[in-house]
Amino acid sequence: MGRFLARRALQGLAVVLGVVTVVFLLRYVTPGSPVDFIAPLDASQATRRRIAENLGLNRPLYVQYVDYVADLLTGDMGYSYRSRTPVRPRVLAKVPATLELALAATFVAVVLSIPLGVVSATHRHGPADYGATLFSLVGISTPNFWLGVMLVIVFAVQFDVFPTSTRPVGLLDALGNLVVIAGPQQGYAAPLDVSGFLADLRSWLLYITLPAITLGTYFTALITRLTRSGMLDQLGQGYVRAARAKGLPETLVRYRHALRNTLIPVITVVGLQMGTLVGGAVITEAVFDWPGLGTLVIDAIGNRDWPLIQGCLVVIGIGFVVVNIVVDALYATLDPQVMD
Amino acid sequence: MARDIDRRNFLKLAGTAAGAAAVAGCSGGEETPTEGDGGDGGDGGGGGGDGGDGGDTGTETGTPLPEPETRVGYLERANRLLHEEAPWIFLNRQYSVYGKSTDVDWEARRDERIDGYAIEPTGDTDTVQITQSAMDSGLDPHDHRETPTDNIVLQAYEGLLSRDREGKVIQELATGYERLEAGRVRFELRSGVSFHSGDSLTKEDVAFSINRIVDPEVGGLDSPQSDQLAGVTGAEPADGDSAVIVESEGINPIVFALFATYCDVMNKSWVESNDEAYINTHMNGTGPFQLADYEQDVSVTFEAYGDYWKDGAPADELVITAASEASTRVNQLVSGETDVIVNVPPQNISQVDQADNAEISAVPSTRIIYNAMIYDREPFDSVEFRRAMNYAVDLESIVESVLSGFGDGTGQPTLEGFTGYNSELDPYPHDPEEAERLVEESGYAGAEIELHTPNGRYLKDLEIAQAVVGYIDDLENVSASVNQRDFGNLTDVLLDGDITTGPAFYLIGWGNATFDASQTIIPLLTSDGALTSYKNERVDELINEAQSMGGGETGTDS
Repeated sequence: MGRFLARRALQGLAVVLGVVTVVFLLRYVTPGSPVDFIAPLDASQATRRRIAENLGLNRPLYVQYVDYVADLLTGDMGYSYRSRTPVRPRVLAKVPATLELALAATFVAVVLSIPLGVVSATHRHGPADYGATLFSLVGISTPNFWLGVMLVIVFAVQFDVFPTSTRPVGLLDALGNLVVIAGPQQGYAAPLDVSGFLADLRSWLLYITLPAITLGTYFTALITRLTRSGMLDQLGQGYVRAARAKGLPETLVRYRHALRNTLIPVITVVGLQMGTLVGGAVITEAVFDWPGLGTLVIDAIGNRDWPLIQGCLVVIGIGFVVVNIVVDALYATLDPQVMD
Repeated sequence: MARDIDRRNFLKLAGTAAGAAAVAGCSGGEETPTEGDGGDGGDGGGGGGDGGDGGDTGTETGTPLPEPETRVGYLERANRLLHEEAPWIFLNRQYSVYGKSTDVDWEARRDERIDGYAIEPTGDTDTVQITQSAMDSGLDPHDHRETPTDNIVLQAYEGLLSRDREGKVIQELATGYERLEAGRVRFELRSGVSFHSGDSLTKEDVAFSINRIVDPEVGGLDSPQSDQLAGVTGAEPADGDSAVIVESEGINPIVFALFATYCDVMNKSWVESNDEAYINTHMNGTGPFQLADYEQDVSVTFEAYGDYWKDGAPADELVITAASEASTRVNQLVSGETDVIVNVPPQNISQVDQADNAEISAVPSTRIIYNAMIYDREPFDSVEFRRAMNYAVDLESIVESVLSGFGDGTGQPTLEGFTGYNSELDPYPHDPEEAERLVEESGYAGAEIELHTPNGRYLKDLEIAQAVVGYIDDLENVSASVNQRDFGNLTDVLLDGDITTGPAFYLIGWGNATFDASQTIIPLLTSDGALTSYKNERVDELINEAQSMGGGETGTDS
């Protein structure tokens, strides 16, 4: 297991380097000089040249690349062109919001889809099956953008159950209320703020519900179908018939044996999709004004703020790689054959 | 080649005829001197354009008109000439369309700025929240030049002069201003003004702020506003009393208009004792609000400044956030989560109107949207062809159907209310027959043209371009299509200083917050303009004349 993971981690590093390289080169094949977005439209050529020089854009490409990678290794992601502030803290500040959204959406999806898929498979061609299939079809065909806007109009504007957008408090902020800071300065008695935690958690849940449902729906539909077909496949296998023939109770056959095997490919897809969610929640983040990486990268692209774009993409890339390694580890635990 | 020569000869004649017609059609007219090359052809490409220019001047039979006597007269005449020469398809002025909650009292301003001091909460709370489409690019008031950041820094920083809601210049930190002589103006400073740090405002602070913008050596900043204070070379504290002398190269007729738009005053010692990152994340101005909390990319929170030199702001707290998605902003407004939102697109206007807790507040902005036609490229080198394009387009119906009425058609590069606007000029009427006739006359019947447009940079830019192209394509003798371009890609080729690399026909917008014709015509329509599409010696001459005359502005508190 250790060697398997080490190999995966090395591969992951190579992927990250690849991402860094592609992201670095992207700026040179993308039309539109960053200077156009920094300088006013009527700036003189002299001003424009000066800006380019200040940004170091006149140095040879390979020098810029080597510098960039060397800086990255020390954790330095450069300075934003637009605001001239360091990129790293800005990007890292957005990670919790995006992770929370990806996790919440995955949670919504898993909680809904696995039971739906199982019910659908075990009641094949029954009304439950047709219902679940219809749900998947609608879910897959509904664009996130539209769904998000509709949920807001109905549940936030019309019925005023949820707020429309943003995220005033994060999950970590909420959990922060529970951390007891012990030390001489605190007199060993920093109170455990349970009511503060509950209030923050409630607010967080209110704000994250609609975005999580929006982002989770497509995902739910996908996993429902996958679970259904996987389950049907497993139920038709010899070992299931053997288990039944031995007289095992049907629930045990279904949920202990068939479902466990069904979940192997499902976990892979959930993992891969989570990676996609980390980077691909852009539209949902925009609709809900969610202060995550998606919103940041979209603004950065709009301004051709390359250091910021690169910072976001590198972090998203690393996130993707980490999720994949975790998925591989889980996969290996469930099905040791993959380590071979 | 034979066709070219014929066309040139023809244009020479046509140019003269058009000029006569133009003069006949206008009371101001153009004077006779045969400047320009009046249709002597030139090379194949430029010939048409030059022939067209002849139209302005080749009125051998006309009575010479006296030169204008005022700067405004020159600018108005330049606008007339540009209207007749049609270097653009003149499209529309944009409106700034805001949504506001019924819990606040506020009217939109014409310069696209949202002044928190002018927002009065009438509901239960004393907090006002504004939602823009983007956050700031840093809080240093000299280190940016774009509306979202302006809207944030102006809450805490102030300039010497400012503008009222209609765009008229008013005093702010200066109580009087006068032109001493060509190139020297004097500002009297207000007394009793303090920075949020507690320091009093001094003439050294003001001089330093001006120098920090115009001189990269002062304050270590390459200010993007240096081009905006063009002509200003420096400032120094005046002897004795509380005043500052500002020096310019030449007469700088619009110096006061410039100071009314840019140049916030900063505290010299505060700037000198802090680094760039600090100045970009903290604020120390003289304005009605002081910074309470700054969360980069997320929100800026201000609280009313107790020692403000005017009455305190009506709101105790002002929060500015951003949502890039228009429907998100609208939903925030109608669900009561924010008080003022920017850029309500036409398709969302009814949603705001129908909500009982919100309404629309719209105002004509300082931005013009136009289709440039490069003066020396076929078929746009023919003034008849360019005029034909203007006749072909039904501007009124574009404003009505694409912009839901939130726009005004234009017929000159200068907007109504600006210095130099020529009130005698109307937009070209929609006259497809005249357009077809002029196309025939231009010799370019059968031309195929392509309009390059950004998508999403300006309100309904692509839809406007599609409508324009639709009208042109409806002409019997021209076919037209749209080419969608990435904005960065398009500006790259427009701004490279080489007029030949860009497309011959493109849609773009131009904001001019100085309310002066020169700041649109110089960059866009004079020979050396940064973004020019047109060269015409007569226009250059009129503008040079205008820029060599003072506006004669003075102002005091009384």
